Amino acid sequence: MRDLAKKRLAANLRQSVKYLTLVFNDFFVLAIIFMFGALMFWYAQAMKTMPKNLWYYPLLLALILWLPTLSGKLVTLLQDADRQFLLTKDDQMEEYLAPMRRYSMYLPTFLLALTGGVMFPFARIKLGISPLSYLLLLLGLGAGKYFDLLWTSRHFDFDHAIARGLRLARLANLAGLLALLWLGRNFACLLLAGNLLAILLASRSKRQKLFDWQYAIDYERSRKEVVYAAFSMFTDVRERKIQVKRRKYLDFLLPKTRKRETPNSFLYRRTLLRDPEYLNLLVRMTAFAILLTIVVQSPYWVLGLSALVLYLTVWQLLPLGQAYDKNVMYRVYPITREKRGQDLRRVLGGAVFLQAALLAVCWLLLLPEHKLLCALAIMAWAAILAGLYLPCKTAEEDKRARYRGKKRGK
Amino acid sequence: MTLKIEHLTGGYSGTPVIKDINLTIKPGEALGLIGLNGAGKSTTIKHLLGLLRPQQGKISLDGISLADEPSKFKKKLAYIPETPVIYPELTLKEHLELTMLAYDLDLDEAWEKAHRLLKTFRLDDKLDWLPVHFSKGMQQKVMITAAFLAPAKLLVIDEPFTGLDPLAVANFIDLIRQGKQEGKEILMTTHVLADAQQAISNYAVLNRGTIEVVGTLDEIRRHYGLKDTDSFDRLYQLLYQEQSNA
Repeated sequence: MRDLAKKRLAANLRQSVKYLTLVFNDFFVLAIIFMFGALMFWYAQAMKTMPKNLWYYPLLLALILWLPTLSGKLVTLLQDADRQFLLTKDDQMEEYLAPMRRYSMYLPTFLLALTGGVMFPFARIKLGISPLSYLLLLLGLGAGKYFDLLWTSRHFDFDHAIARGLRLARLANLAGLLALLWLGRNFACLLLAGNLLAILLASRSKRQKLFDWQYAIDYERSRKEVVYAAFSMFTDVRERKIQVKRRKYLDFLLPKTRKRETPNSFLYRRTLLRDPEYLNLLVRMTAFAILLTIVVQSPYWVLGLSALVLYLTVWQLLPLGQAYDKNVMYRVYPITREKRGQDLRRVLGGAVFLQAALLAVCWLLLLPEHKLLCALAIMAWAAILAGLYLPCKTAEEDKRARYRGKKRGK
Repeated sequence: MTLKIEHLTGGYSGTPVIKDINLTIKPGEALGLIGLNGAGKSTTIKHLLGLLRPQQGKISLDGISLADEPSKFKKKLAYIPETPVIYPELTLKEHLELTMLAYDLDLDEAWEKAHRLLKTFRLDDKLDWLPVHFSKGMQQKVMITAAFLAPAKLLVIDEPFTGLDPLAVANFIDLIRQGKQEGKEILMTTHVLADAQQAISNYAVLNRGTIEVVGTLDEIRRHYGLKDTDSFDRLYQLLYQEQSNA
């Protein structure tokens, strides 16, 4: 089982590196370097002017150092097929999970080291914590995270009640850290000692012998979904399984009558509102444009950037047109593909007008000047996208569909 | 007014899986397509649905050629796949509405029929649910309901019994009988002959990509030299032997 775990970890690492390379592309890395540099510059300036030993500094430091311990769930890499093929390996699962726990420590350790490094000048200068005490606190938090992972793996022994205990343990770590920072910085080793003792007790506690395969597989599935969702914000993730939700509260956006509806527009509307891939994109881009309004404030910059966001939204939604190309029933049903570009244009045109209208309302409320002008301009831009850009793009799709139709006919 | 498959040869990327298939199904007739795994049943169905392009041969329904008028052909056809194919974003009600839109059905009449079918399969209280979250058997009932809602002349059914409870199997067989009476043409692949023979009397045996015999189960028995006392499963052993000797 240890070999299997190592094999899976190696494959997972390869996959993660593949996606991380795509996520941290040159532009993104450059943007991060600039943002981090700006943050550090602001931090260095703030350090010069901040008074020492304010009452809330320990609370601030404790919260910032504690947050990285919440990152990184237990990686198990269990698969659906394990329920069938590893069903008899209940008593060897500890052997499988031990390397998984170590692997799961990579991300929190990195984040803890990074945060610890960044916060060290603050802790040293403004709070007067000695380097040794600070290091012991960080080690204590790291040990707390390991206990967290160890305890999580006990969930898989049909012992789900310990989830409550886990939440308490996390809060106890925060409370312990806060107490040490406020009251006894010379006893920083207590956090480490306490967590090591907890690890020892947890390792020696009596275990159930039955492994809850379904629970463990569901846990891993939901963990992976979060990871893939994060990657999918930057790149296409082949492994991602979309979880469609009913979202009845959005039904008011669907036409009440079916008179002008075609099978394609019927499908496109529902996919746009219920498939998280498309809906999240629409919501994310709209939220981003609203955020720009708040941050930038300069009306013409807001207008220009929002126009770009609208264009990018439409451009990224275009694959909706081919969403069903591989669905057997879509191909078997007598649904004509020749005019589906028109249907896509109607649906995406509606979406872009909705997005522009939301922005216009926000601007009327938030912009300091030229509100009406900007609101009208963004609506005009939406009209250009819907009336000129979309027809061009969807005409290409119509042409491709006709070509495919002819090819099939031959 | 018939389904005609003439000299059909086809398969995947140039490799023929089925060779020179000839089949005719007349109105009110149901034909079972039987054979071992890999014999070419699903490939035949894929050609019939227009999912594969024939290397040779012609498929037509009521004189309408699949290759020349695919949309017209498909309007006369309904399909029940072996593994249910559900639109994840659509509710059960919307699956039926899409069927009505695709086949240009009169909404009032179609809903009347839909409600009858939904009641038969005990789905009438789940109209607002997403079938993607249903069990396999319930998803199969959605496929059956949608297929029988369509005013199709030809019903293509691929291994329909997997996952259905005995009550649903009985309901489904009743629908096939009713369909035959209404003049529908039915092509069904199955291994579950005990259930199938309640509604289907004629079968075509497909082996190594060719139709070896078409007839009733008794005629097929005689063709392969099976005794009355032999189980019909013996046929599959004979087909396997033929495959091995080839």
